[in-house]
Amino acid sequence: MAKLSDLLPPEDLAQLNGLPLFARSVMEGFSTGMHASPHKGFSIEFRQHRPYVQGDEIKRLDWKVFGRSDRFYIREYDEETNLRATLLLDASGSMAYRGTRGVIKFEYARKLTAALAYVLTGQQDAVGLVTFDSKVRSMVPCRTKTTHLHLVLDTLVKTQPGAETSLAGVLQNLAPRMKRRGLLLLITDGFDDADALLQAVGVLRKQGHEIIVFQIWDRDELEFPFSRWARFENLEIDDDFLLLDPAAIRQRYLQTLAKFREQLMEGLRKHQVDLVPLITDEPLVDAVKSYLALRARH
Amino acid sequence: MSFLHGILLAGAAAFLIPLIIHLLNKRRVQTVRWGAMKLLQEALRQRKRNLKIEQLLLLLARLSIPIILALCLARPVLSFLRQLPGASQNSLVVLLDNSFSMRAPAPGGGTVRDAMRDDLRRIMDNLPRGTDVSVVLGGNPPHFLADQPTTVLDVINDKLRTEPSLAGPMALHDAMQLATAQLKRAGSAGRELMIMSDFRQKDWQPVADGGVLPGLDSFKKEHPNALLTFYRKPSELRENLAVASVEPSAFVIARGQTIALRVRVHNYGTRPFQDVALHLEADGARLRTTRISVPAGGETVLSLSHAFDTPGDHALAVRLEGDAFPEDNVWPLVVPVREQVNCLLVTGSERGGPLQGATDFLQIALTPHESASASLKDVIHASVTEDRRLTERSFGGQEVVILADVPRLNGRSKMMTEMEDFVWRGGGLIIFVGPSVDTRWYEQDFFRGGKGLFPCKFSGAGHVDEGQPPARILSQRFTHPALSYFNDARGLRLQDGAFQHWLRFDKIEGETHTLLSLDRGDPLIVEKPFGRGRVIAIASTANADWNNLPLQPVFVPLMQRLVTYLATQSAAPQSSLAGTALRVNLPPNQAGDEFTLIDPLNQPHEVTARRDQEGAFVEYADTSQPGVYELRSKRNPKAEIRRFAFHLDPAGSDLTPLPAGKAREIAQHAGAGYAEGYDEYAQLDRTRRHGSEVWQPLLLALLGLMFGEVFLQQRISRA
Repeated sequence: MAKLSDLLPPEDLAQLNGLPLFARSVMEGFSTGMHASPHKGFSIEFRQHRPYVQGDEIKRLDWKVFGRSDRFYIREYDEETNLRATLLLDASGSMAYRGTRGVIKFEYARKLTAALAYVLTGQQDAVGLVTFDSKVRSMVPCRTKTTHLHLVLDTLVKTQPGAETSLAGVLQNLAPRMKRRGLLLLITDGFDDADALLQAVGVLRKQGHEIIVFQIWDRDELEFPFSRWARFENLEIDDDFLLLDPAAIRQRYLQTLAKFREQLMEGLRKHQVDLVPLITDEPLVDAVKSYLALRARH
Repeated sequence: MSFLHGILLAGAAAFLIPLIIHLLNKRRVQTVRWGAMKLLQEALRQRKRNLKIEQLLLLLARLSIPIILALCLARPVLSFLRQLPGASQNSLVVLLDNSFSMRAPAPGGGTVRDAMRDDLRRIMDNLPRGTDVSVVLGGNPPHFLADQPTTVLDVINDKLRTEPSLAGPMALHDAMQLATAQLKRAGSAGRELMIMSDFRQKDWQPVADGGVLPGLDSFKKEHPNALLTFYRKPSELRENLAVASVEPSAFVIARGQTIALRVRVHNYGTRPFQDVALHLEADGARLRTTRISVPAGGETVLSLSHAFDTPGDHALAVRLEGDAFPEDNVWPLVVPVREQVNCLLVTGSERGGPLQGATDFLQIALTPHESASASLKDVIHASVTEDRRLTERSFGGQEVVILADVPRLNGRSKMMTEMEDFVWRGGGLIIFVGPSVDTRWYEQDFFRGGKGLFPCKFSGAGHVDEGQPPARILSQRFTHPALSYFNDARGLRLQDGAFQHWLRFDKIEGETHTLLSLDRGDPLIVEKPFGRGRVIAIASTANADWNNLPLQPVFVPLMQRLVTYLATQSAAPQSSLAGTALRVNLPPNQAGDEFTLIDPLNQPHEVTARRDQEGAFVEYADTSQPGVYELRSKRNPKAEIRRFAFHLDPAGSDLTPLPAGKAREIAQHAGAGYAEGYDEYAQLDRTRRHGSEVWQPLLLALLGLMFGEVFLQQRISRA
């Protein structure tokens, strides 16, 4: 059985304690928690007044308003529910990139996933895990039990980066299997066709899922610092390589990269999906903390 | 192809640096297991250009830059371009100094002329094919070696082999005029003027002092791209002793009469010559030897004398021994020896007392030994007659006629014609005026508007008032052959004569010129050529009526020289400057006769007598070889042999060259290249003509490559 300390050092775990991950939109949960549920009912969170109509329960009348205005108004409350958060971890070959600073992107992504799972579990939210490359490799359904975290972590530890990415295909396959609305946390480098990816995200958004994309970058991929002639071997396909002078291609690469990121960011913004770029040489906990803190304020 | 700085070619090896860097970069390929392959492939796919070709071009540019830089520094000379017809066609005009000093010994043996000729041949061998060359020989007189510029350079070489050097100094100005005019006529775009000379100080000092080379400034303005080269090759010889002049005391002497020679020996060197042998030779035989000493930079004058027993033209020579440059150590001279020179004195006034007659002093002056009843013989035989007894036949056998105070020859036109004919054929006429002359007749009939014998008109009479100093002969340096003797004649001063009365000569025009003037500004003696003969008019009397010149010792040699000058002036001079044309006047009946002229080197030359207005003549132009020439009649071998002497111009004997620094300054001032010797010229020529033609485009290519390299670098990095 994997332990959380296998993935995250204790000091990181201490920092993550008490960091709530709020679902920004209304979640449909099955236990009462800190997340608002679209089902109005028993709750302490006042939502609005509305005129009384026949059939409403008399107990929900706001007598104070009736006393002041001599009209019947019903008090409505937002019902709080617990969150169904599914962690989608990209385990494609491209995530196996080890940068010049020695950090493997997948390791970074795995730690991030573990950290997120830990935070969510700590909030009594239901956490699930899906790992995939060109297809779904493993799927852990959402549970709220604390012991469920061990199952998630165990799956994470066993997962290694594998074949070619097909992010859009995987998301499209998952859509019908995730009938209840929830939070999808996608941890990936996003190296797929941007249009197809955005299309799949759009489908999930229509189903009511809230999506956060954590895009994992190595600084080498952002700056392309190579100067000597280099043989670039494809991590996802064997015997696929490019032999070139990096200095000669650097400018064009950076332009292509910027265009790709711009396209992805614009498309995700349209679907009201948060895109969180994370660079592997930045401390993981700091990156997660700063993002969660930002979300908590909204 | 050759290189001026071939060692710098080694710098081309620097091309290995970018090559090695390139190869090392390719060899030390790092392997990157890459995730963002899609982005990389997309970046490659979007690049339209062929990066490999651009990178190859960049590598080539980087390899070429050090190679071309090394080529530029090594100054390549593409000699094969010069062999392409018309590739760099030039016109070369060579001003070749062939003055006397070029006969001096050259440093490597032979003469400077030979060395210069060899250098010129080497220069011509390396000229671009099709270059036309013309050579101006700069001796005096300057002339072209060939009539036209030629591209067949063997012709030039052949002519140079046989062309002698001339006898005098370099005629720099005239030669430059010829050369620049020739260069202006040249049709080729590339023009070069090369002045090849020993740069003798006497020739070049005026230019070194700031004088201009004629025609050069205007030529440089018109053709700024024309090349100008000064080629200096001096002799190392500095010490030179030369016979500077030999002046005979008489134009003609009688058999047995002694002729005196005044010999000037000049030392042009910096060390004195002691006890040098000087020989007097007559007709090829050495007569006597004198020892002389000549101080450094100075001269020694001595007199020699000799008498000949047989009539005819006798050759005399003064010869020096003892210096390293013997060319100018001989001075040849021809002395005509006659039985006598017949002179007719015509007096116009009755003889009163002793020495009162118009010709009394003349008779004494012309025949001093006879007058003194001495045993010595006079060369001049003077006969006296009165003007009224003068007939047409009086001129027969005479060589000079002197009219002294003759009033007029009125009414005797036949005699006038005879007198004119006498002078026209070569006779001499001296006319003294006097109180008896009819000036009107002289002007109208004797002068006849310039067509008559009398040289000029009168414009009144000159006289000296009482108490005033008498008029005297103007002191000047005399150039006339009859008078030059008096320049240095010790104790014989023409200025001793005092003149009280004279007639003023006017209308001195055309060929008439003044020989002597009075210090009052009036001409005293004028001369006019008439046919082959000459007329001399004297503005005062031949006796002591109007002046005291006849009382002076100088009167005797003056009259003797005037008479003998006129008696011999139609013949060639006793000694002429080598290079001047020889012209021998002959009687009309010898026209068409063939003669043999034997030059000083004993080479015979056939010449034919031609006819002219006055009779016949023989002409021979190539007298550049100094010495004695002999003219023999082929028709009549027993006829008298005529001899003619040609001497060197002493102005060419000072061999001191202009210092190399000065010559360089002249060249620099004229914007010319400067070379001493062939190797230096070859280097100069390559540098000027060819170096600039090759390294300039290479430099442009280098700049282009450097710009190209930066451009490609930027372009590839933006890829």
